[in-house]
Amino acid sequence: MSTESVLTADQRDALQELMNISMGQAANSLAHLIETKIGISIPKIASVTPEQLFSMISEQADAYYTRQSFLGDIQGEVMSVVSQQGLCEVGALLEYDAPLSQTDIQEIILELSNILAGACLAGLSAQLALGTNLNMPTLFSPRKANFEEFQWSNSLVMEVQFDIEISSFSMRVVFCLDDASLDRLTQTLDELLG
Amino acid sequence: MFDQLVAKLPVGICVVDEQYRLQYLNAFFLDRMRPDQRHNYLQQPLISIFPEQAKFLTRRIKSVFVLQHPSFSYWEQRAHIFPFKSSRPITGEETQMYQNMEIVPISGPSSEQKLACIILQDVTAQASYLMAQQELASALKQEHTAQRKLIKKLDSAQSQLIQAEKMASTGQLAAGIAHEINNPIGFVTANLATLKDYSEQLLNLCDALADKLQVTSPSLAQFSAQTMDTYHYELLKEDISPLVDESCEGLNRVRDIVENLKQFALEESTGWQLFNLHETTQQLVKLVGAQYKAPVYKVSCNPPNLQIFCEPASIKQALTNILINAAQSIKCKGFVKIDIRATAQRVSIKVIDSGVGISAENIKKIFDPFFTTKPEGMGQGLGLSVAYTAIEKHKGKIIANSNPGRGTVVEILVPVVHPEQRHECAEPLGGS
Repeated sequence: MSTESVLTADQRDALQELMNISMGQAANSLAHLIETKIGISIPKIASVTPEQLFSMISEQADAYYTRQSFLGDIQGEVMSVVSQQGLCEVGALLEYDAPLSQTDIQEIILELSNILAGACLAGLSAQLALGTNLNMPTLFSPRKANFEEFQWSNSLVMEVQFDIEISSFSMRVVFCLDDASLDRLTQTLDELLG
Repeated sequence: MFDQLVAKLPVGICVVDEQYRLQYLNAFFLDRMRPDQRHNYLQQPLISIFPEQAKFLTRRIKSVFVLQHPSFSYWEQRAHIFPFKSSRPITGEETQMYQNMEIVPISGPSSEQKLACIILQDVTAQASYLMAQQELASALKQEHTAQRKLIKKLDSAQSQLIQAEKMASTGQLAAGIAHEINNPIGFVTANLATLKDYSEQLLNLCDALADKLQVTSPSLAQFSAQTMDTYHYELLKEDISPLVDESCEGLNRVRDIVENLKQFALEESTGWQLFNLHETTQQLVKLVGAQYKAPVYKVSCNPPNLQIFCEPASIKQALTNILINAAQSIKCKGFVKIDIRATAQRVSIKVIDSGVGISAENIKKIFDPFFTTKPEGMGQGLGLSVAYTAIEKHKGKIIANSNPGRGTVVEILVPVVHPEQRHECAEPLGGS
């Protein structure tokens, strides 16, 4: 996993900084909504092959997965990896009654993915002055998807992890951009860098 | 123009302000509401008109206002948010509308005013199609499981059949051999009886000659005594008769065994008939005892000469298999006891042995086809399974209890059946 081929050091730093800001905003929005503290990791930026992407998102055992596509000035997909641990506490924060039914769990996962991915994307788009629209999230199982048959060889991914303080819950959000969007992104970054 | 367009959209449009008060509803919503609610909904709280999912709607709308980001809901997780009827009230199968919902943030005429727009899609057709498919899939899966079970059953039935056929042909073979052995035994026995007479006469002849010589010619008498000594006459005289007697006894035993084998194997009793359980058990014990000599066998029957109405072939098969197992469990010394008791309702046959016993773990599996503790190639693990099937055919039970190291008791319980009840037990043999 390297970024040299796709982004210059300056571009990378700039993107990292923008991600930091937008993820922070996302975490704040979520914290405000569910009234609890949320921690975020330093965003990781990398260029990956489909196999690398697969091992990246499936390295965690006991997880739920969702995916969601976004369209607009930049296009791509967001995959969310939601830990099974601590989901009950999050359910309680979202005002679900315990015990959670299977459909409750699905709804919580989809809603969490939508909130976090949406907040991240909105933040990033605002920072870069790009317009994007997120489509509805769907449940996803990476083991059933055939990553080897994906129509691309390299993709820029941005990953950030959210933790909720009161429980062992954590969630990773992985953005993947297509090639055209990558050009658009580097162009915008260059404009920002002046 | 846009007003008309929005009103006519085939999706529901509902706009609320930050206090969750209704600002707009399109025809999709209005058509499905009570007439009295249609005209003065403006500024009413959304949840006063649609209280069914108040908590959920409030939370989702709040999230949209706070995050300024759309929120989604699917019929799979939450089918009915608004209490609307199916779009096909007459011909449709679903009575309630299945809904997908999206709430998007929008701004009002003055751009500071934040609004949320609920977009509702009727996905009843899609949902009922998917659910029908899922039902079909689960029905298929069930059928598949049932079929697999049947196939497994069929497999075990087939192997039992093969085993039974093997036993039957072994029986026929034994009967054939028994018949062949009978002929030579017949003439050997007859010849031996004659030989016994002849030898006695020969001895008498010798004695008579010796006595006569003693009197008439002392010199010849001396010669005769010497010759008799040379050929160990005294020893011959002493030994010859017990030898012949023992041989006769041995032949009798061979004849008995062959007779039993013949009776046992030749019986072509495929139907139900009266059958002497006591006598058959005794024959069986002799047969098994000829092969397994280690244990002492004992048969008791109360009442003696008990007759039962059954299918003799399968009962014999079951008894043989159990008896062989009991006999094999005894390595050097011990007993095998068969205790038969009958009441008015049922017959109990207990086969008790003082053999090595069966562990608690194995005893659960002894009636399973192909279960065996014998080394590979030494047993197919079908004996007790065949016995089980045979007893089951008689609507009976077979129970095994064991104390490892001390012995095993296998009890067969079969209900007493009277010949006039036969049609209830066996397949009808034709019109009456």
